[in-house]
Amino acid sequence: MPHVMISSKKCTGCHMCELACSAYHEGAYRPSVARLFSEVNPTTGAIKGHTCLQTACAKCQEACPEDAIVTKEITVRVKGDYPGKEKHGEAVKGSVLVVLDEKCTNCGECYDVCPTGVIHEHPDKQVAFKCDLCGGEPQCIAFCQNPHVLAVDLKVDKTDRPGARA
Amino acid sequence: MDFYKGRVLRIDLSAGTSTVEPLNMEWAQRYLGGKGLLLRYLWEEVPTSVDPWAAENPVILMSGPTAGTGVFLGGRLVVGCKSPRTGILTDSYVGGSFAPEMKFAGYDAIIVTGESPKPVVVTVKDDLVSFVPAEDKYWGMRTSEIEEAMRRDFDPEAKTLSIGPAGENEIAFACLSTDLHHKAGRGGHGALVGRKKLKAISIRGTGSVSVGDAKEFLDYAYRLQTEHVLNEENLAMHEEGTPGGAQLYSDAGAIPTRNFSSGTFADMENINSDALLAIRTKVRACYQCPVACRQWHEAGGVSCEGPEYETIALCGSNCGVSDIEALMRFNLACNEWGVDTISLGNVVALAMDLTEKGVEDFGLRFGETDSYVKAPALTAKREGVGAELALGARALAAKYGHPELGFEVKSLELPGFDPRGSFGMSLAYATSDRGGCHMRAFPAGDELESGTRPPDSLEGKAQYNMDLQNAGAAKWSAGLCDFWQVDVEQLCLLCERIWGRSVSEDDFLQLGERVWNLGRLFNLREGVEADDLPTLMRAEEGAFADGLSAGKFIGDQAFAAALQEYYALRGWDENGVPSEAKLVELGVDVRL
Repeated sequence: MPHVMISSKKCTGCHMCELACSAYHEGAYRPSVARLFSEVNPTTGAIKGHTCLQTACAKCQEACPEDAIVTKEITVRVKGDYPGKEKHGEAVKGSVLVVLDEKCTNCGECYDVCPTGVIHEHPDKQVAFKCDLCGGEPQCIAFCQNPHVLAVDLKVDKTDRPGARA
Repeated sequence: MDFYKGRVLRIDLSAGTSTVEPLNMEWAQRYLGGKGLLLRYLWEEVPTSVDPWAAENPVILMSGPTAGTGVFLGGRLVVGCKSPRTGILTDSYVGGSFAPEMKFAGYDAIIVTGESPKPVVVTVKDDLVSFVPAEDKYWGMRTSEIEEAMRRDFDPEAKTLSIGPAGENEIAFACLSTDLHHKAGRGGHGALVGRKKLKAISIRGTGSVSVGDAKEFLDYAYRLQTEHVLNEENLAMHEEGTPGGAQLYSDAGAIPTRNFSSGTFADMENINSDALLAIRTKVRACYQCPVACRQWHEAGGVSCEGPEYETIALCGSNCGVSDIEALMRFNLACNEWGVDTISLGNVVALAMDLTEKGVEDFGLRFGETDSYVKAPALTAKREGVGAELALGARALAAKYGHPELGFEVKSLELPGFDPRGSFGMSLAYATSDRGGCHMRAFPAGDELESGTRPPDSLEGKAQYNMDLQNAGAAKWSAGLCDFWQVDVEQLCLLCERIWGRSVSEDDFLQLGERVWNLGRLFNLREGVEADDLPTLMRAEEGAFADGLSAGKFIGDQAFAAALQEYYALRGWDENGVPSEAKLVELGVDVRL
């Protein structure tokens, strides 16, 4: 099932993915509310990517007491190049986990269980926000196009986690 | 408001207070941002003829309108003041992530005035500004230490701009550091920040920068990326970085070697790009840059970003050093102690030269690395030989009776391209607005890299230098990094979005010329010395004995004539004073 991955080995820490993600969702550049991030240690230069693993993880959905995180069908058409392109082709059908704002009570259960730290309370809306694969054309991948880097990938796992709901 | 935040943070260190004021949008429409807007603010904020060490001399941090947006390579910060080293303007550029963070915090610029009674750190989290006593805690820290401390004590995502011990001790070539290895290196601002007892500004911003219709902008940016950014020319910086030029410039007889006594380093293969690629561990990027030119290396237990070309030239070949581990140790020490590698490498080589000539024994010799690697720390602390090195090239050379061995222009130590191997650089150094600097006009690129202009002739070089300065000044006013070889057409389209009006190529180049003339007026106001070049770099007696540029010299008369040609092309008089007609033509809104 499709989800975005940042390669910790290839990422250069430019944060273009965060910028593009935030602009797409917020209408302005605001990386503090990006749905993914590259954690860079300036002292050592070490990098760790943080992305939502969607239905391959689904811990947020499991933890939500309000059924506010739902599974939606999605067709992902990546703009640009990505490492998995040859394997997966132009269009990938699968599922994505989406927060329903109207059902979210901001209880915080999902914030606590997320293993990659990519679901948070939105500072303006007091509901959870997370990666939704940009409705099918992930901006993060589109803006990681240095041919020597291509650190943002679309991974497609064969199976979902048991807890993920259809 | 799009691109700009429309807000300036003013920090008064004497009073320990801060205020927010509107960005002067009339100036922004005239000078864009970055370099241009910085100079306009300097004109206003620096009291005429002020002692550059005085509390009234401000330090100004200016972003470009592109910082904090998806405009590639648009996150540069420029730091400016009246330099306590040169007495004229200094504008120093740095990448990293400080400028974008400043925009997200809500500010286009930060103006620092006054002098703190005791060492202080200023933290800025969006609207919250705090003055944190630094005396017992942070003063004395090296770069990595203060940055880690800010992440621990202030905010885990804090971006910090700091001086090292060198700045604290008011070393004239102390730098401001950010993201550890990124430096606003040159010009003397580090010493002024130290005099102000400001250890660091640490900033965290959670706000946004608008660009109009964000989805439309993302489409535009995607096209820009594909068609104009990720091409072979720009990506060369990713593949090799700046060290790519080291062997070429040495072979061409243009790399500083043993205190500028030669243009070719026989042992360049030990510290050239190939040598570095063999020990490269990773490549990193500045904020909002997909090119990613920052090369990390590891040797002998030292892991460090760099050395960049200038460090290879000034601290390597210029010091006769071919030991790559020693060079990396020197580089890392400069980064940690907060010293500009160009100036220090230049002065260390001078000290080596004076030692070898038997003038004075500084304990430093060309190629000897034991004492060499200790130089950055000693200089930062003004200890031992460091106290002498701290004088800088001009004063040190004069003190020991050999002014001709100090290679500087207007007291700024010369960087990594010898004009005897690249004649165009003679005018570049002489006419640069902040002193001897290769980053205002760079004719060496065409003369030696692409080979489209002859390196041993001054013909057409006055025009060429002027064109490069004008185009550059406009580009740096947008906040863009040099390593995006972007054409004027694309810059115009970008400017149209920023300014919200039609911008022709002539408009854009005129912006650059306007900014350059504004800088010239500032320098004339504050008392700039005559444009010149070290004697040995223009006179016949200074011609190299070896290498591809052997025997070549510019000639005093030819140099003087080229300078006059440059002034005439610029519409300046024989003393380099802009004419009233030129200032009116360009729309410069200040006068002497």
